[in-house]
Amino acid sequence: MADGLTVSDLEVPGRGGRMLLSVEALSLAPGQSLGLRGPSGAGKSTFLYAIAGLIEGARGRVEWNGTDILSLSPDRRGAFRAAHMGFIFQDFLLFDELSGIDNAALPALFAPRAQRPGIRLRAQEMLGRLGLSDPGRGVDSYSGGERQRVGVARALANDAAILLADEPTASLHRAAADALIEDLAGVARGQRTSVVVSHDPALLARMDRVITIADGRMTDGDLAA
Amino acid sequence: MNDLWSGLSAPVQDGLWLLLILLPAVVTGVLVLRSLRPWPLVRAMLWRFRGPNLLFVLLIAVAVGLGIGLLAQERGLRAGTAAAADKFDLIVAAPGSEVTMLFASVYLQPSDVGLLSGTIYDEVATHPEVALAAPLGFGDSYAGAPVVGTIADFVTYLSDGAIEGRMFETSTEAIAGAFAPVGLGERFEPAHGTGDVALDADNAHAHAGASFTVVGRMAPTGTPWDRALIVPIEAVWEVHGLANGHAPGPDGAGAHDRIGPPFDAAYFPGTPAIVVRSEALWSNYALRSAFTRDAETMAFFPGAVLAQLYRVMGDVRQAMSVMALVTQVLVAASVLVGLLILTRLFRRQLALLRALGAPARFVFAVVWSYAATLLACGAVLGLAVGWLAAALLSRVLSERTDILVTAPLAWPELHAVAGFLSVATLLSLLPGLSMRRLPIVEALRS
Repeated sequence: MADGLTVSDLEVPGRGGRMLLSVEALSLAPGQSLGLRGPSGAGKSTFLYAIAGLIEGARGRVEWNGTDILSLSPDRRGAFRAAHMGFIFQDFLLFDELSGIDNAALPALFAPRAQRPGIRLRAQEMLGRLGLSDPGRGVDSYSGGERQRVGVARALANDAAILLADEPTASLHRAAADALIEDLAGVARGQRTSVVVSHDPALLARMDRVITIADGRMTDGDLAA
Repeated sequence: MNDLWSGLSAPVQDGLWLLLILLPAVVTGVLVLRSLRPWPLVRAMLWRFRGPNLLFVLLIAVAVGLGIGLLAQERGLRAGTAAAADKFDLIVAAPGSEVTMLFASVYLQPSDVGLLSGTIYDEVATHPEVALAAPLGFGDSYAGAPVVGTIADFVTYLSDGAIEGRMFETSTEAIAGAFAPVGLGERFEPAHGTGDVALDADNAHAHAGASFTVVGRMAPTGTPWDRALIVPIEAVWEVHGLANGHAPGPDGAGAHDRIGPPFDAAYFPGTPAIVVRSEALWSNYALRSAFTRDAETMAFFPGAVLAQLYRVMGDVRQAMSVMALVTQVLVAASVLVGLLILTRLFRRQLALLRALGAPARFVFAVVWSYAATLLACGAVLGLAVGWLAAALLSRVLSERTDILVTAPLAWPELHAVAGFLSVATLLSLLPGLSMRRLPIVEALRS
C-alpha cells in the first residue's frame, strides 16, 4: 500500500542562517509520482533528503501516511526509511566489490532477521524483471545502465511504498536512460508514491505532477494533490 | 576459591587465563555484532584497500612478533643457561667472584682465578657426603675449542654415560664434546690460552710435543661442554710442566701411567674449581657450609647464582616487556589512524547505508569489524613472526654461546597476544565511534 505525503512549513536552514529550502505546503496522494525540476543548487535534492528525514535541523512537518518523520529520533527515522523507502542515486552508489544480487539485496544485511530471506528474494526477482541475466557477477563489470538497474532493484528490494530518486538518468546515455525510465514507470506506477529529482524532460514527462524549485522555493506547479 | 584455583593443573590455569584475557575481545565482539551481518561489507572494505590493509597487517605482525619473540627468547636463554648448569650441583673454588667461577666452570669462559690445593681437594673428595669431586683445569684450547682437564667419572656423569668410543685411559687421550672440532680417532695439539691469545704464534706452539688422540665422543649435552675437548687433568698439569697429581713410583717412573683419583696432595699442582656432586640433595647445603671458609675456599650453588642473575635480569625483562607492549600499542595506534583515514574514504558508502535505513549500530559494526579484523590478523600473524624470530635468535645464541637455547612460544606469549588482541578490539571502537556522527547528506554529496 503506497504512502501519501503531506508537507507543511518545511524549512531547511543552512549555515549562517540562510534558508536553503522553504516549502509552506505540499501534498501527494498515495501512488502518485512527483517530478522536481529546477536549476542546479536550487534545493531539489535538499527537498528530497528532507522528506526522507536525512537532514538534521530541518523544521516543520513531513508526514508520510500520518507519521511525521521529522519528529522521530534519528534511529526511528532510519528504521522508517528501511521499512518504507527506496533510494536511487545519480551515480548508483553501489559496492563495486559485491555482485549485482548482493548489492540489490543490501538492505537484508541490516533488516530484522525474519525479513532477510524475503528481501533477497525480491531483489532477485526485481533484477530478473529488469533484465539482468547474470546477477552473480561483480558490478564493477556492469555498464552504467545495468548498474542503475541494480540501484533500482536495491531501492525496491524492501518492497518500499515510497521511491525517492535523485537524478536517476543523469549518468546514463540516452538509450539507457530511456530504458530506465520505462523500467521505473513499470515498477512504480500506481503502487508506489515516487518523488524524482531530474533535469531529464523524458523522465519528468512520465510523472503525474511536476514542480519547479528555484532558490529554495517551489515556484510553479500544482502544490496541492 | 583460592583452593579451587590452586587445585587446577598449570595448563588449565594458563588456559583459563587466556580465556580471561580474551574476554574483553569476545564481549566487545558479541555486543557490537549482535544480530548483525556486516561481513559482506567488511570483505568489500578489506578488498578495496587491500594494499594498505596488507601493510597494516604486516606492521602489526612484526611489532607483535618481535615483542613475543624477545619474551620467548629471554625465557629460552634462562632455561638454556639453567639447563647447562643442571649437572653442576655445587662448586668449590678459591674465594673470589661466584659469577666469574660460574662462567669459568659451567660455561667454560675462563678467567684468572686462584687455585685450590691438593689438601683441600682431598678434603672435598673424601668427605662422606661427596659422591663425585671433579677437579677442573682450563686455559688451553684447540681451534677455538676449550681444552678442559678433569676426571673420567665427571665425563661419564656429564654425558650420562652416552659416549661413542671409549673413555680416556692415559694422559694422551681425550674425549671430544659432540660438536668439538676434532673427530673420533683424530689427534690435536692444544695451544696455550683461548681465543685470540691462543692464535698468537708464541702460544700456538707453547705446548709443542703434547698431543692428544680423541678416543671418545660425548652425545650432545646442550652445554658449552659440547664444543670442549676433555682430557685427563693430569695432562693439563703435565703440559704446563707441573707434577701430575700422583707420586712417582719407587723407581721414579710410573706416575705418568696413572690417571684419575685418588691424587697425592703433595703432587697436586692445584685446581681452580672442584665440581661436587653429593650423595643426597639435602647434603649439598651441609657441604656448602662445610667448604665456605674465609680466605680458604668458597662453595656455591650455580643454580642460586643464576637465580640471582635472573633476578637482576628480571628487571630488564620487565622493562623489555613494557617497551614491547608500548611499541605494539604505538603501532596499533598508528594503524588505527590509518584506518580512520581509510574509513573516511569509505564514508560515502557508509552514508549510503544510513540513507537506506541501516541503524547507526550497523555502520558502527562494519567499521569496527574492519579494524578488528586487521588487528586480529596482524596479531595472529604476529604469533608466526614471533615463532620465527625466536627460532632464529635461538639459533644465533646457541651458536655463539654453545648453550642450547630453544625458545618455543608458550603460554606467556599466547597471553601477551591475547592481551594485545583485547586492547586492539577496544581501540577498534574508535574508528567506529568516529563514524557515528556521520553527516549523511554531506557524505552522500561528497
